[in-house]
Amino acid sequence: MSAVVPLSVQRHAGLRLSPRPGGGAMRYALLGLSELPLAVADFPVCLAKDGQTGRFDLIALLSLTEPRNLFRIEGHWQSTYLPEGARLAPFRLSAHSDLGLAVDEAGDGWATDGEPLFAEGRPSPALAAVRPALEALVADVDAARAMIARFAALDLIRAMTVVLGRGDGEEALEGLYTLDPEGLATLADADVLDLYRCGFLSAASLMSASLAQVERLRQLHNATSSVPFDRAEVDLP
Amino acid sequence: MTEGVEDGRGFRVVVVGGGSAGWIAACRIAAAHEDASVTLIESPTTPPIGVGEGTWPTMRNTLARIGIAEADFIREADAALKQGARFVGWTHGGEDAYYHPLNPPIGAGEVDLASRWVDGGGGNTSFADCVDFQASLCDAGLAPKKITSPQFSGIANYAYHLDAGKFAELLRRHGTERLGVRHIRQDVTTVDQAENGDITALHLADGSLQAGDLFVDCSGFKGLLIGGVYGVGLRDRSDVLFADRALALQVPYDTPDAPITCHTVSTAQSAGWIWDIGLWSRRGIGHVYSSAHISDDEAERQLRAYVGPQAEGLTARRLTINAGQRRIFWQNNCVAVGLSAGFLEPLEASSLMLVEVAVDAIADRLPRTPAAMRVAARQFNAAFDHHWERVVEFLKLHYVLTRRTDSDFWRDNVAATSVPDGLADRLELWRAHPPGPADFPHAPEVFGWPSYQYVLHGMDFETRYAEFAPPARHAKADRLIARAAGMKAEAARALPRHRELLRAIRDHGLQAV
Repeated sequence: MSAVVPLSVQRHAGLRLSPRPGGGAMRYALLGLSELPLAVADFPVCLAKDGQTGRFDLIALLSLTEPRNLFRIEGHWQSTYLPEGARLAPFRLSAHSDLGLAVDEAGDGWATDGEPLFAEGRPSPALAAVRPALEALVADVDAARAMIARFAALDLIRAMTVVLGRGDGEEALEGLYTLDPEGLATLADADVLDLYRCGFLSAASLMSASLAQVERLRQLHNATSSVPFDRAEVDLP
Repeated sequence: MTEGVEDGRGFRVVVVGGGSAGWIAACRIAAAHEDASVTLIESPTTPPIGVGEGTWPTMRNTLARIGIAEADFIREADAALKQGARFVGWTHGGEDAYYHPLNPPIGAGEVDLASRWVDGGGGNTSFADCVDFQASLCDAGLAPKKITSPQFSGIANYAYHLDAGKFAELLRRHGTERLGVRHIRQDVTTVDQAENGDITALHLADGSLQAGDLFVDCSGFKGLLIGGVYGVGLRDRSDVLFADRALALQVPYDTPDAPITCHTVSTAQSAGWIWDIGLWSRRGIGHVYSSAHISDDEAERQLRAYVGPQAEGLTARRLTINAGQRRIFWQNNCVAVGLSAGFLEPLEASSLMLVEVAVDAIADRLPRTPAAMRVAARQFNAAFDHHWERVVEFLKLHYVLTRRTDSDFWRDNVAATSVPDGLADRLELWRAHPPGPADFPHAPEVFGWPSYQYVLHGMDFETRYAEFAPPARHAKADRLIARAAGMKAEAARALPRHRELLRAIRDHGLQAV
């Protein structure tokens, strides 16, 4: 359950930020463009549509069929990189608070042994760092969207399906998108050069290569589930 | 045709007329044939008719082929989505109503559900509600797709309601700026013909000459080339379809946030019917009627009574309907498309659909040699004789099944002399056996068996299916009917309200995938 309310000294004087970042129920984490090289070390990085606008976002896939973050095991993130979107998940930017922030009171980012948000009625150093970090993330996510818009204009985006097999049965994970390898291989010279100069060509390679991490998701799923999958494959129609 | 085109190079297509038919033809041909030159000649003195506001799902293909993004179309043509039509008062003249949705019955072709429904398989639900989920979306004002659906793709089948004037303008910009269509605003004064009767060139009012190899006549009712040059007359169909006049109003919404109906509403009157079409910024509402059965004044009074106080201060536009089609559509190197090919009352939005089917046939195999064109013309004429006949029959179906006896209009409509033989024959067959693919062997067939089933069962057509259907098939039919019910609940959870979706599309666009 999400209960996002504007942050205030009075209401949240006792709130403490957990030393163990939450996000146990996250299916995916939104990524900024600068996070891509770091995120591909752990996660399949692909595209998903925003439910309100239909526009593509860059995401790190954290789950398979269940709404369960497979990288958070017994309360701890087990990944080399923690996406900013997950680290900052307890907070939102908000125009309804003097502090410019709102908090998800019902989220799993709080703990009694955590660092207080306020010390003697003033924002703690940890809290003071949140707003600039969120603003940087928003700008970074916008940069990722600009890159994706360039890919879309070149007709490079394709729907992908993660097919999960168990014996004779199969389950499919839909609603994810990636780049078309054939389209990338047959780009016009001028487009190749342009994408290269923008850094988008290497980003495209990282995204494509990261799909191999779907196997890592399967392993994590099997390690903690009583109904393991025999295989996990990415299908590009 | 000149010698230079014998090898098919530099083929010159000249479209006469700048309404939606002319621009659809010019854009489709130019998009499909980069090697051909396409010129559209528009009269600066004759404005387009511009009342065609309902389309078929085929328009999605047409837009995709022309290369217009769906979101641009929705923004610029003031368009909304259409999931079918609701017919009110056609059977009994009261509140009775039924849907003709655009989705086919679930499991179409696998097992016939009509027999099961007739036999009580759907409980008390209407036929459309029993065999598919789309009618429930229409009732709830929900859209057939989500903002995350790719362009031209939906959870349910859909077409559009559009502003025909704005649509023609969008096509003009796209055609001239992206597809290389030449646009000339001049009246055609005279026509040069070769000895064999082919048109070689058009003389324009400014003294210039426009030569061509294929001439597409989209000049509207007058049929400048097909009628004016070749003297091909209309085959009058007013003996079957009585409506000969229409009154049209453009009605604003009560509030800017008023729901937009996601289907056409067609409400029967004493001597015709009223269309009600929701666009993004207004409604188009009009009365189609038979002047032999009602006066213009009374027709306008009924229209204003339907609209209510919103009609005050609005002036109704008057239109004449000459129900019928050309006896020949493609003569020599001239093919008539749009109103110049004919017109029928817009009961099932067949007008733009016939334009699309015609332009598909022309553009898919643009015949480059005189010999090929002769054969193409023969095939085209045979196909469109068939299509027009079947459209006439399908429109008549809506009238011939009525139980209304409250006016001469409805009584005359069921008179055997007004029913085409083909339709009368098939109705006999369909009393015993549901309409199926075998009844519609033509490819493409404009109205298929699902459309007939929706209208027949929407209007309580009496059948004997229950006697003849093997009960062994019931189990499978029941599974499909249960699945349709499940899809209804799922769609109601997942789909947004129609106006909300249109707003999101206008704000954010739609992705290509």
